[in-house]
Amino acid sequence: MGKSEVKGTVTSLSSMFPAEETQKAAKMVEEKLSEKQNEMNQLKEFIADNTSLINLVQKLPDELHHDIMVPFGKAAFFPGRLIHTNEFLVLLGESYYTERTAKQTVEILKRRGKSLESKVDALKAVMQDLKAEASFFDSTASEAAEGLVEIREYEEDNSTKWASQSGSLELETPSVAEADNKMGASEDDDYARIMSRLEELEKEELAAEDNEENLEDEDEDANAVESDSNEDELTKAAEGDGDEDELTKPAFHRKKDEGYSYLDHGQRYSESPRKQLQQFNDKEPIEEMSNKYKHQDLTNQFASTGLTEEPVTKGEISHGRIIQEDTKTLSPSINASAPFEKKSVQTSKSEFDSSKAFTGSIVEHTQNLDKSSVGTNTTSLQSSGSQPSKPVSRFKMQRK
Amino acid sequence: MDSLRHEKIQKFEEFVDRRLKPDLVHAIAERDKIFDQQKIFSDLRKNIENLEKNSVTSLRTLVNLGSEVYMQAEVPDTQRIFVDVGLGFHVEFTWSEALKFISLREEKLERQIEEYTRLIASIKAQIKLVCEGIRELLQIPEEKTVEGRVF
Repeated sequence: MGKSEVKGTVTSLSSMFPAEETQKAAKMVEEKLSEKQNEMNQLKEFIADNTSLINLVQKLPDELHHDIMVPFGKAAFFPGRLIHTNEFLVLLGESYYTERTAKQTVEILKRRGKSLESKVDALKAVMQDLKAEASFFDSTASEAAEGLVEIREYEEDNSTKWASQSGSLELETPSVAEADNKMGASEDDDYARIMSRLEELEKEELAAEDNEENLEDEDEDANAVESDSNEDELTKAAEGDGDEDELTKPAFHRKKDEGYSYLDHGQRYSESPRKQLQQFNDKEPIEEMSNKYKHQDLTNQFASTGLTEEPVTKGEISHGRIIQEDTKTLSPSINASAPFEKKSVQTSKSEFDSSKAFTGSIVEHTQNLDKSSVGTNTTSLQSSGSQPSKPVSRFKMQRK
Repeated sequence: MDSLRHEKIQKFEEFVDRRLKPDLVHAIAERDKIFDQQKIFSDLRKNIENLEKNSVTSLRTLVNLGSEVYMQAEVPDTQRIFVDVGLGFHVEFTWSEALKFISLREEKLERQIEEYTRLIASIKAQIKLVCEGIRELLQIPEEKTVEGRVF
């Protein structure tokens, strides 16, 4: 930092607060003040009424009866007299009345008077504030009219800069920080960026969960036709990959479907690990290809286990999931082969007859016959290619 | 020419805002007061008729002492009733006399209400007229499409 040098600005007060505006503001405050004054007068009237009523109530029981004109409606009177001069009917509020003696009534009235007093006090405070405001506006207006100027001085120093230039602080901040501590600035910047990114992803995830809840019902139905539609979906997925962040609804739906297949996949592990391994051996050559997608596959598997809790009974799910996790930790290569398994599982899915799928051959379903018979190569590539389009997986995994 | 027109428009607007509108508000307030009076007297009439029907000779009632504090009151003789005839005077009537007075009073109030209603209507018409004048001053010389306007 260089030597601190004094800088400053000179602004005439009238340019910041035009005389008209200040007058207008002062007028508004005056209006408010007079309003409050009216309120105050009303309250004072109430208090006076209250005290006179207290006197009256105290005096009334002195005599057995008083001759009065009894009001009959608002425009007529009967000559009559007050009787039972120690019995009062007092309103408590909400149209509840109570019968009280003169003494008790006086107590009630005194309490009412107290609440009125406190109201007056509160009003007085408000009025004081308003008066101060009004005087401030007035003085500002007169100062502006006199042509007063405001001089702001600040030193070209980091500390004073912060204080004196609060207006342009936001713009100033990066440069100051840079000058001060370049590393710190960039770190902060990175940190902020990461945090904002995280927030963004969190939001997406939440949205995805909402969708999930909505879709769960649909999925039950979708189960039946899944074997047919999955074929198309997979190809679609292969086309629309690479868009990790974009969590559109269709993409999510796709993912859900795959999730089911993964679940079944998990079941398979639990039911016939031996066959699974056998299959795996068959697909050894493809492993290399799909290996580069290993990470996604792996995480996706977890995502899908998280997603597929509904349609199958709980016991099966947990079972399947545990085994999946085991496979993940023990032999990633098995996970890498997941995409191929999917194919076969899908085919078996509509009947929910897992044993059918375990015959060792992938060709199971007549509708899928042509494609699957072409070879596991293509399907596996497709499915593994589709993996990157599952955006939430990373975060799902984090959660576990 | 242009400034003259502006001056005129301003004068008209001031006339509407400072004169006609306050007049209108005042007239409406007055009429509301008379409505209240009318209600008071019709209530009184109903009450007296009620007393007559039940041939009440003595009455017990509650008197409001203020701030919703009530005390019992007794009227030993209901034959004599004091009715407000205006300007703070109360006249002692019997029931039949009171009813006669009330019907007269109601007639008068009715007439007053009609008067005020007419006044209100005329003030409203004037406001509309002046507004139309302002509109003409503003619009007709500048654009000829005004004729086609429908209000």
